[in-house]
Amino acid sequence: MSLLLGDVRFEEVSPRRFVATVTKHELRKTVEVVVKEDSYLSTITAVDIPKDGKIELNYIFWSVKYKAAIVVKVLVDRSDPVVPSISDIVRGAVGSEVEVYDLMGVIFQENGRLRRGFLAPEDIVAREIYPLRKDSGV
Amino acid sequence: MVIVEIPIGPQHPALHEPIMLRVRTEGEEVVEVAVNTGYNHRGIEKLLEKNSWIRGMYIAGRVCGICNAVHIQAYVQGVEKLMGVEPLPRANYIRTIVMELERIHSHMLISAVMAEIIGFDTLFMLLMRDRERIMYLKELVTGSRVHADIHTVGGVKRDLDEVRRDKILSELEKVEERLKYYKNVYENDYTIVKRLSEVGTISKSNALKMSVVGPTLRGSGVRSDVRSDDPYAAYPEISFNVVVRDEGDSWARMIVRLEEALESVNIIRHAIESLPQGPAIPKTIPRSAKPGEAISRVEAPRGELIYHLVSVGGPNPYRVKIRTPSFMNILNTDSVYLGHRLADVPVIFASYDPCISCTERVVVIDEKTGEKTYMNLRELARVESR
Repeated sequence: MSLLLGDVRFEEVSPRRFVATVTKHELRKTVEVVVKEDSYLSTITAVDIPKDGKIELNYIFWSVKYKAAIVVKVLVDRSDPVVPSISDIVRGAVGSEVEVYDLMGVIFQENGRLRRGFLAPEDIVAREIYPLRKDSGV
Repeated sequence: MVIVEIPIGPQHPALHEPIMLRVRTEGEEVVEVAVNTGYNHRGIEKLLEKNSWIRGMYIAGRVCGICNAVHIQAYVQGVEKLMGVEPLPRANYIRTIVMELERIHSHMLISAVMAEIIGFDTLFMLLMRDRERIMYLKELVTGSRVHADIHTVGGVKRDLDEVRRDKILSELEKVEERLKYYKNVYENDYTIVKRLSEVGTISKSNALKMSVVGPTLRGSGVRSDVRSDDPYAAYPEISFNVVVRDEGDSWARMIVRLEEALESVNIIRHAIESLPQGPAIPKTIPRSAKPGEAISRVEAPRGELIYHLVSVGGPNPYRVKIRTPSFMNILNTDSVYLGHRLADVPVIFASYDPCISCTERVVVIDEKTGEKTYMNLRELARVESR
């Protein structure tokens, strides 16, 4: 089974879980299509993959219409972790983006509320490390 | 003109991140709400990465005091998927019974807290008294009135015998009667309806944009419940109504909870009556998982709870992401307060069923004299009438 939203095809990896990987340039366009399907953003999971030099972002949406989780995956470079923010499309993304920035160091362009110490304690912020990265030493 | 600053938080036992809500008001009107966080980040996600899959069960169960069984359920069902384990059918039913008991006492708790905030102390006392019956049942089934810890990979740790089943059924009858009474109070009491109606209204489209979940989302007319849309445990075999209200205000959210608690009573009854035969306690527990990932969702009392587990094989998780429902309900709803009266802030805040302790301290500053007065949320809710 697969689901075609806009020009992105989401593959069903397990029951009610549809996943597609897009580039960061396609992210906003994809999210705009996904939210039209009565979807809300559940969370953004960032997974650090140092051996590939990447950070994987999983934008997990729940579509009330399709009764399925729609996951948009984006891989960003660990050395330059910058993606466009989707918080103007989905207001509920603000908190999740700030969380990922604080703990994993991914910069969401145009999200004006990014700041260190949103969740991470002061000593971690002072050491300028992102605690959920595998090489953070935390 | 009095400028009021209301720091709510920061200690927060339920979320893995404590939150402070700083509300600023001009006169009676709320003009700004800012969210402050980061006081005591417990680092549970990192802790889970550093422990084995099995030890993770005990960590996940301690994310929240009120809804601990749903946290273990979310974690364990993800782990089961990664390990290729199918939970025992009887265990699935016992898990469901424990989770529904939890939902009833959680909904009774917030109904009691709401009653206290709006000055209805008798209702608070009565609700808390009757909630104790459920706490007793939870202890009867799991061995502990707070932390259930009954889940394990592939099943549960304790079976449910005939005597306990009968006790649950007889106690539930009493609780059901009381829940109907409280629902009637919330629906018809003049003061409660006046105090909650048209306060903190969230429209259907805004609810989706704000990504709120659970009774807050269903109170805004969106039919979304993980138990029916993405069923887990014994829910695929149990029919129940998903409670939805269209009003979108604080009152609707409370009524959704009370109706849901009544549905939970029926779910537990059904689960007990159709409890499958066979073992509930698994003989062996696998230790390592296959590479892959699992997005595990459950309906916590406060809404959709997500565990995203990533495995690269072996005995330890590679990454565990937890998103609790209050994270969405509190962080994304700061605009709902704007334009409301100061005394409505505690009502709106409580209507999200926030899992925050330490919400008591409020500072009222007289701008002319600079004098500060400390009061608690209950007193604040009565400021208007002074």
